[in-house]
This record gives sequence, C-alpha cells and structure tokens, in this order.
Amino acid sequence: MTGLLAGGLLLLLIGSLALVRFRDPYERLQGAGVGDVGGAALVMLGLLAGGWDASGGVKLLLLFFLLFTGPIATHAIAKAAFVRRHRPGEGGR
Amino acid sequence: MGLRDWLAAGILVTSLPPLWRLWRGPTLWDRLAGAGAINVRIALVLACQASLGGQGALLDVALAYTALSFLGTVLVARFGERGER
Repeated sequence: MTGLLAGGLLLLLIGSLALVRFRDPYERLQGAGVGDVGGAALVMLGLLAGGWDASGGVKLLLLFFLLFTGPIATHAIAKAAFVRRHRPGEGGR
Repeated sequence: MGLRDWLAAGILVTSLPPLWRLWRGPTLWDRLAGAGAINVRIALVLACQASLGGQGALLDVALAYTALSFLGTVLVARFGERGER
C-alpha cells in the first residue's frame, strides 16, 4: 500500500516537472498525460490496497474514470492545438 | 503527521508546477494542460481524505468533481479549436 502510494506520488511529481520543464505544448501534454494517468492509477490502487470495504466499488469506479478521461482530455487539447495550426517548437517557456 | 497528511501534502506540493503553468503558459493549450493536471490532483486529494481520513462521502464528491472537470476541459478545448478567442 505505501509502496503504491509512493510510486504514484513520484509519477505525479514527474508529470508536474514535465509540465514546467518541457519546451512546447505538445511535449508538455505528453509528459503531463503520462504522469497524471499513471500517478492517479497508482494512488487509487494504493488506496484500494488498504482494504476492501463498502466504498471499494466507488474507488474502483473513480480509478477507471480517471484512467479513461485523462487520455481523452489530453487528446482533445492536442487536437485543438493541431487544428489551430500550432506548430511544434513554437510557444516555448 | 500520519500517512494521510503526508500523502495529501505531497500531492498538493506536486500541484504547484501546474499552477505556475496555468498562470503563465504562453498558449491556451498550456493553460488547459495545467488546469487538467490540477484537477486530477484535487480529485486525488479528495479520494485520499475520503479513504484514509474516514470521511467516505468525499469519494462521491471526488467522482462528481472528476466528471465535471473532464467536461470543462473538453468544452474549453473545443471552444479554442473553433477559434473564438
């Protein structure tokens, strides 16, 4: 349980650092998407590993919801940027 | 400080860089990415408080928060896609 939570926290930290350090919006979306989805999945798995009680089903639902909506939101943002002709390499810092 | 406090504090600390990106991202897409990252972290803090802090009702709040934040992100992305600034 503690290991899963610590791993999820590490992935969240990596994702947020990618959001600051990368150079254009597509790179930032990729790094933040990986960190957010993986970190959210690991943290929710860690909370689920604490023991199955009456709220376990809602936790599982929240896990799958975060797992599905994260990539969809990332894809929506990236597609909007691409449709608006935002070229890779623009918009640094 | 117990496990719940350490976890919530860690998640909140990792939501500071997305806040900076939301504040001064050069483009709308950067701001949307920062807002989405902050929303994921807020939902995780709510779930952690519900599961480790013994306030089970907050789990439903986290579920509704996730659904609404996803809707908001996709709506603003589609709005920016059509080019009305």
